[in-house]
Amino acid sequence: MTSGDTQWPRYQVFHQEGPHRPHVNSGTVHAADPEMALQNARDVFVRRPDCVSLWVARAADIQSLTAEELESAGVPEPTDGSLGTYQVFLKKSQVGSHEHAGSVQATSAAGALAAATDEFEKEDVLVWWVVPEALMVRTEPDEIDSLFHPAAGKLYRHPAFYHTVTLMRRLREAEGENK
Amino acid sequence: MTENGRLAEFEARIRRGEKIEPGDWMPEDYRRQLIRMISQHAHSEIMGMLPEGTWIARAPNLRRKMVLLAKVQDEAGHGQYLYHAAETLGATREEMIEALLSGKAKYSQVFNYPSLSWADMGVIGWFVDGAAILNQTMLARCSYGPYSRAMVRISAEESFHMKQGKEQVILLSQGTAAQVAMVQDAVNRWWWPSMMMFGPHDQESPNSPVLIKWAIKTRTNDELRQDFVNQIAPEVMELGLTLPDPDLHIEKATGNWIHGPIDWDEFWRVVRGDGPCNAERMAARRKAHDDGLWVRQALEAYARREAGVAAA
Repeated sequence: MTSGDTQWPRYQVFHQEGPHRPHVNSGTVHAADPEMALQNARDVFVRRPDCVSLWVARAADIQSLTAEELESAGVPEPTDGSLGTYQVFLKKSQVGSHEHAGSVQATSAAGALAAATDEFEKEDVLVWWVVPEALMVRTEPDEIDSLFHPAAGKLYRHPAFYHTVTLMRRLREAEGENK
Repeated sequence: MTENGRLAEFEARIRRGEKIEPGDWMPEDYRRQLIRMISQHAHSEIMGMLPEGTWIARAPNLRRKMVLLAKVQDEAGHGQYLYHAAETLGATREEMIEALLSGKAKYSQVFNYPSLSWADMGVIGWFVDGAAILNQTMLARCSYGPYSRAMVRISAEESFHMKQGKEQVILLSQGTAAQVAMVQDAVNRWWWPSMMMFGPHDQESPNSPVLIKWAIKTRTNDELRQDFVNQIAPEVMELGLTLPDPDLHIEKATGNWIHGPIDWDEFWRVVRGDGPCNAERMAARRKAHDDGLWVRQALEAYARREAGVAAA
């Protein structure tokens, strides 16, 4: 059964590897709503014991500004609206992903981008993202155990669990003794 | 800016080592080649679950069963990362799944061989995932940002796949006579299909030059295959096992292990759909898709209800 393009909105996912680490962009999932987005994000991106929190925001709700755009068109003009909080994410290297840097107060997304370029170090930043705080959805503290605890005991998902180097070395040593 | 000017600027960005991101200008052929490669790669992750999935219920103990289950689950997740990377280029999930199910899209030929004994779980991990890691480590330097980031994540996760397999091959090779015979048989069957995973020789790989020019690939099929032989051959021999290649020898001047001729007729036969398990794999995939219909319907019903609630 195909019923045309039934793709749901794309959500950007941000994961946090430890309590004092910034949230980092992990990729995107499709979902009908933020709750499903968080669940899909858990299943797709958190199979290993290194996640303590997930945030999702609809890709369409993220405003972005590249260093190139900033250079050619200048700082975006803020527009009128009610004052609100925007979360700011910065991409600082070609190979890296967006990382959470903090938040700014602004009356529009353009204003938030302008404030972000002002408040955070401009050097090294390749792309700015701002997301209205009201549109960010986060894992709740009381969900954390059920979402992330199951991965915590699965150390066998890490390569260090397998002692192939030691096994090969022992084999070589035994070979040496037999000679 | 003119089309030629844009192309020149795009190629200059690639030469500077910049990553191309979803909204950036790119030549149509760059987009097309990436969608083809990334979706094939995603299909391979999904089809790659089948030869191993069949052994989950027959794992020899609980530890091996948990490990195999985790590995197969990772592959499903890797398929998801990759489908998402392809979607950033404008491909839709439905088009890609439809292309796989109709047989139009290709996936790695290696998954069309049968997994006949438990030792295959060791050898697949070491050889097939080992080959995949070499390819993916190269693709992690790819010029397209989302593909490169997916590869960084996948390569890190797959080193567990490779090591759990290699551990099993080491242990079986030092086991009873029956275990040694079982693992040698698995090595014999998986060696050439693994070597073929890197694709045709460079002179017969029509897409390679443009893929390398645009830094989608940064190394050639034969270079990667050479690394693979150099990595695996000496260690297989240290284990007292042999590889099914009478011509295999070390070249003094370069230190490279030189392999004998690859049966490209077999390669193309399997790619074109006539391998030992192509029909079985496709039937299993289609059945899984049909069996999942109720899940997709339930999700759609949920989405409609949520949309209704939001509109009300």
